Amino acid sequence: MSTALTLTTGSRPDGSRVLTVVGEIDMSNAASFADALNDAVRPDGEPLVVDLTGVEYLDSAGLAALFPHAERIALIAGPLLEPLLTISGLADLTTVKSG
Amino acid sequence: MTGADTDPRTRADVFAVDGEIGPDLARVDWPAHPLGPPDGWPQSLRTAVRILLSSRFPMWMAWGPELTFFCNAAYRRDTLGRKYPWALGRRADEVWAEIWDDIGPRIDTVLRTGEATWDEGLLLFLERAGYREETYHTFSYSPLRDDDGTLVGMLCVVSEDTERMIGERRMATLRDLGSDPSVVRTERETLAFASRQLARNQQDLPFTLTYLFGDDGDARLVEATGLAAGHPAAPAALSRADLTSVWPLRALTEGETVRVPLDGPAFADLPQGVWPDPPTEALLVPLRQQGAAPYGFLVAGLNRYRALDDGYRGFVELAAGHVATGIASARTYQAQQRRAEELAELDRAKTAFFSNISHEFRTPLTLIMGPVDELRGRMQDADPRIREELEVIRRNGLRLGRLVNSLLDFSRLEAGRMQARFEPVDLAAVTADLASVFRSAIERAGLTFEVDCPPLPGAVHIDPGMWEKVVLNLLSNALKFTFDGSVRVELRAEDGQAVLRVSDTGIGVAADEIPRLFERFHRIENARSRSGEGSGIGLALVQELVGLHGGTITASSTVRQGTCFTVRLPFGVAHLPADALAPAGTGRAAASAEPFVQEALRWLPGDHSDLDQGDMAPVDGPVTALRDGAPARVLVADDNADMREYLTRLLRSAGHRVEAVADGRAALEAARTRTPDLVVSDVMMPRLDGLQLVAALRTDPRTAGTPVLLLSARAGQEASIEGLEAGADDYLVKPFPAAELLARVRANVELARLRNHHARWRTALVDSLQEAFFVCDEDGAVVEINAAFTDILGYGPEGLPYPPVQPWWPDPQAEPEAHRQVAAAFSVLIGQNQGTYTVPVTHRNGHRLWIAASFNQVDDPDTGRRMIVGTFRDVTAEHYAVQRETALAGLGMRLSQAEDLPDALHGVLDELRKLWRATGVVTAVFGDDPTPTVTATDAALRWESLPDARRQALVALRDTPLLTPVATRTHGAGIAVEHPDGTMALWIDLGEKRPFTEQDQTLLALLAGHIGQGLHRVHQIDQQRETALALQRAILGPAQLPAGFAVRYSPATLPLKVGGDWYDTVGLPDGRIGIVVGDCVGHGLRAATVMGQLRSACRALLLQDASPGQTLMALDRFAALLPGASCATVFCGVLDPATGRLRYSSAGHPPAIVVHPDGTSQLLEQGRSRPLAVRPGLERPEAETAVPARATLMLYTDGLVERRRQPLTVGIAHATAAIRRGRGTPVEDLATEVMDQLTPEGGYDDDVAVLLYRHPGPLELDFPAESSRLAEVRTALRGWLDRCGLAPANAYNVLVAAGEACANAIEHGHRDSPGGRIRLRAAATADALRLSVTDTGHWRDQARPADPHRGRGLVLMRALMDSITVTPGATGTTVDMQARIIR
Repeated sequence: MSTALTLTTGSRPDGSRVLTVVGEIDMSNAASFADALNDAVRPDGEPLVVDLTGVEYLDSAGLAALFPHAERIALIAGPLLEPLLTISGLADLTTVKSG
Repeated sequence: MTGADTDPRTRADVFAVDGEIGPDLARVDWPAHPLGPPDGWPQSLRTAVRILLSSRFPMWMAWGPELTFFCNAAYRRDTLGRKYPWALGRRADEVWAEIWDDIGPRIDTVLRTGEATWDEGLLLFLERAGYREETYHTFSYSPLRDDDGTLVGMLCVVSEDTERMIGERRMATLRDLGSDPSVVRTERETLAFASRQLARNQQDLPFTLTYLFGDDGDARLVEATGLAAGHPAAPAALSRADLTSVWPLRALTEGETVRVPLDGPAFADLPQGVWPDPPTEALLVPLRQQGAAPYGFLVAGLNRYRALDDGYRGFVELAAGHVATGIASARTYQAQQRRAEELAELDRAKTAFFSNISHEFRTPLTLIMGPVDELRGRMQDADPRIREELEVIRRNGLRLGRLVNSLLDFSRLEAGRMQARFEPVDLAAVTADLASVFRSAIERAGLTFEVDCPPLPGAVHIDPGMWEKVVLNLLSNALKFTFDGSVRVELRAEDGQAVLRVSDTGIGVAADEIPRLFERFHRIENARSRSGEGSGIGLALVQELVGLHGGTITASSTVRQGTCFTVRLPFGVAHLPADALAPAGTGRAAASAEPFVQEALRWLPGDHSDLDQGDMAPVDGPVTALRDGAPARVLVADDNADMREYLTRLLRSAGHRVEAVADGRAALEAARTRTPDLVVSDVMMPRLDGLQLVAALRTDPRTAGTPVLLLSARAGQEASIEGLEAGADDYLVKPFPAAELLARVRANVELARLRNHHARWRTALVDSLQEAFFVCDEDGAVVEINAAFTDILGYGPEGLPYPPVQPWWPDPQAEPEAHRQVAAAFSVLIGQNQGTYTVPVTHRNGHRLWIAASFNQVDDPDTGRRMIVGTFRDVTAEHYAVQRETALAGLGMRLSQAEDLPDALHGVLDELRKLWRATGVVTAVFGDDPTPTVTATDAALRWESLPDARRQALVALRDTPLLTPVATRTHGAGIAVEHPDGTMALWIDLGEKRPFTEQDQTLLALLAGHIGQGLHRVHQIDQQRETALALQRAILGPAQLPAGFAVRYSPATLPLKVGGDWYDTVGLPDGRIGIVVGDCVGHGLRAATVMGQLRSACRALLLQDASPGQTLMALDRFAALLPGASCATVFCGVLDPATGRLRYSSAGHPPAIVVHPDGTSQLLEQGRSRPLAVRPGLERPEAETAVPARATLMLYTDGLVERRRQPLTVGIAHATAAIRRGRGTPVEDLATEVMDQLTPEGGYDDDVAVLLYRHPGPLELDFPAESSRLAEVRTALRGWLDRCGLAPANAYNVLVAAGEACANAIEHGHRDSPGGRIRLRAAATADALRLSVTDTGHWRDQARPADPHRGRGLVLMRALMDSITVTPGATGTTVDMQARIIR
């Protein structure tokens, strides 16, 4: 049984692209999260918005998927995740907005 | 159940062990006694009584609250006296009321501390023989314990030392009195000395008075001890006429000993001295004198605490005898002193006279020598003995003539009256001629004689008679000091002079002596020579004579190589006075040469000894037999064979036994081998002269008292004083009349016998001692011993002195410990004024002895040196007896106190190890198990870890006959013993090289027997207890507690494991948990059985209906039917571990305590009603509360909190505080802390049950190491964290950290070994969480470069938690994490 995770890629009205993540990310499903990121991130143009507001659990496996794209993404995260993003140093490399 | 009642061997036959005391003990009215009938006695009392009765060593014991008195036959015999059998079964303080002040506190100490006491030679005043008696005891009190380990009595192992202590004390006084007579010069000093010694023993002689009779028969006081001068009991004078005198004078003058009660007015205020009360009797002993009225008498105050038995009376009489002997000795000494002075005066007058008339000798000498020569001619065919005697006369006549001539030559030289006549002679011929006279003597001495006198170029003027003396003196001298090699005479013409050299290969002369060689009367001391004879004038005369010739004489010498004398005479006559010249005459030699040669020949060994046949006819004169009849043994030392023979014959003719030797050294050896009665010695002797001989004899205690009579040719005051100062007893100048010598010999022998009477008496006394006696010098060398010494140690007087280290010391290699003990005792011996010690020593034949020695330091009055005088006795038997009894008692204790069989065996091994100071003791029990069970003092030893050799030795030991010791030479000993599980091989490892003696083996066999029996008894009790324990455990509580709980249980009654209290947890079908703590009335086994039933009932009721109130009501009905259950109190609750909700009801039980994480607390006081079965059927209230997150709940019984003189609330507050302090501690540790902190002084005296719960209980998850399981693990953890009441952010941090740890475990631990498992455990305290994640895999490569991704995980964990510890191990890795809880 894999950990519950829903990944949805879409566009905002302003045209920016958004990856909405709902559920938990751990080592059992970090690969699909990474795949989704790879698909959605573009080398140029506006950064990809990754919406983590619906994520209830994220650990180093999920962070590992985010790090390679740090310069091409912008994060939206709830208060639960914020300290983690700060401690891991990801918040220094990318923009994090409160969701 | 103690098990004792079921062992038939221990039943009523407890007194049957001993046929003497046992029946009397059985007659005690035990049923009426506090201890009750013996059938009901505890096992430990029976064991103690059995040990006591079966021992042959004196013992008594006190048992129970009244300290009931028991003793054995040996104690009755030695100590109890008339108190038997009255004392049996009485209170000890009644039996020994008179000494209770002394022993009571000791017994108290034993009973209070459980530590044994040891007293050696303690003075106790016993009333066992009808009076207060001074007695001494060496004893040890050791504790006795009841079956449950409580101190209930004490065992006393005692040996009475009264006889020994008092005997030693008296012997010391007698020894001191006889310590040395020669220090004593006058009667006054003698008496003062004796008095000082008497005063030192105030115990036996509280006071003494010494009275001496005057010529008128009145007595005057000369010495007193213990009484002040002027005391009415010590008048300065007593008149024979006064019939009312304080002391009965008349009987004493007649030599009777009188016993006097001290009840008159004169004795009203006698001092008490060292005793509590003054003496009541005195013994008056005359100071007896041989064959005459007593000198006086000794008044001895008597020790009222000792009976005047034969020993005491004998002691006082011996002491008086000492005083009398001292007086005799002093008076004799004074008489002798006067005589010596008179003799010296006589000698002085005689010597003056003798010197003056010496020239007159020539005439009588001539008249002797003429007829003697004539007689010799005529007696050619006469009896050889007559001719031999004529020869003696002639030889000594010649010698005397030569001496007289030399003396006269000198006086003439000095007076300038020597008339020389110088003739021209062929000096070579004359000299060679003279030399030839000596040839035969020199060659008989085994020397080469070389004469090298070639003709000189011209004549030399000499006086032939003088030249003769020059040459003969030089040759005589050379022969005297040369023992091998050659003597050489050489004549040469050198530088216008005739040069004569007489050289030898003799002993030589030291360079510093050469200048004095020609001094008149100078003799080189201690030079080895053929004879000690000589006047010391030979070379001086030679020098004078050479000088008269206008010549010179010089000497050159090298020690041990030889000496050369060189005489130089000028040729011609210019150097000579003209009026002294004479024409060449008929110079002939040898007329005066004969005495020289004859004398020299007597120095040489030859068969001129007629000693054995020389029975001389009795000498004229007053020769009377010795007064006491016994012939004297006289040792004669003279280097002159004629004189030796003469003295021998003379002394034999007077009936003496004579031994004759040729020098001082031989005399000393002879005297040491067998002490003579008298030594007659010449002063001048080779090797050791007379004065040195005297000095040597005086320094040796064996010969110090032997009288010495010195003989000398040297007349004069200085000589005799020198002799007397050296310690000679008399001095006789040659020549002497035979009768004078015999008279002096007789006088000296008698005087010495008289004077030595004391010393001989002392020697006889010392030799008659049963105890060994020895004297050491200040360095510890043994210089004197007695016969008992030799009997005990095997070393006799022939080996004296024995310098340290003495041969009886144990070998330092083989027995370092014994050696160390002796070395320690030795340093006490030479370092302290007095003392005692007991040490092991080795008999000459090698066997082990134990001796108890006591010693005193005394000053040797002659030398002023510190000497040590001591005695010892053989205590080997006692030593082993004490050792055996102590060991048996120790073993008995260990066995009776043992909890179980292994404990008993451990105790036994420990005792054995201590007893033999072994490195270790190991046993192997060969039972049903193929591997023997090993028990050893080293607890870590197993059969597998034993060396092969030891294993084989143990197997071999198993097959030896039971209880038969097997000892190796040096390493230890073993024995086979019966063990309940099979044969037990027991090995004592001595470690060092140390023999296991025969006594050791006997002891081991004896102990092994006891061990076997003891182990079987313990085993039986053990089995019964095992059963009891299994039952107890079954009724106590659940074997498995739910998570989050901790319990403690402490029964008040040991050795039971249960009491009337209980706790219980019951898992209910709906997941809730029933929790119960209860307390039945009373404790011990009875309460435990009630408890067990209540507990089971309560459990069943809870399972049926999970309502605390209902449960207690049902229990009411049950308890009403159960005897002893009424009034039990119970706290019964039902806890929901998920929510912390607790429903509860209390039946009269103390309230449960809840302590919140912030430290506030709450007592669960609702739902309370009466104890069980008080009003069955009545409703019971119920209450509900919630145990908050991370709070601690405690249920307990009143034993935890109830204290005398203290309200229960105080105890509860203490308990609450203890939980509050420990609310951050894991609950299991908290249980220990609470029990520790509330323990009253002296331990809990009531049953205690405690049940602790912290909410929520710990989370424990065990799941496969697969990443797909992580989500559900997180869910469970989230729920638990929620129950812990954590804030969401706080909880999320813990969740991520735990998630990382689990991910790590999957990645590292199980990537290469799928199928492993991971365990996660989380527990909460009031302010912190502890988590651990453990995997079961193998992290394949620890050194692998850190995976940057997993590295990030670790960083996260460290950031999120307060501490992280990673512990890698062989079976997996554990990550421990802690996080503080943020409020």
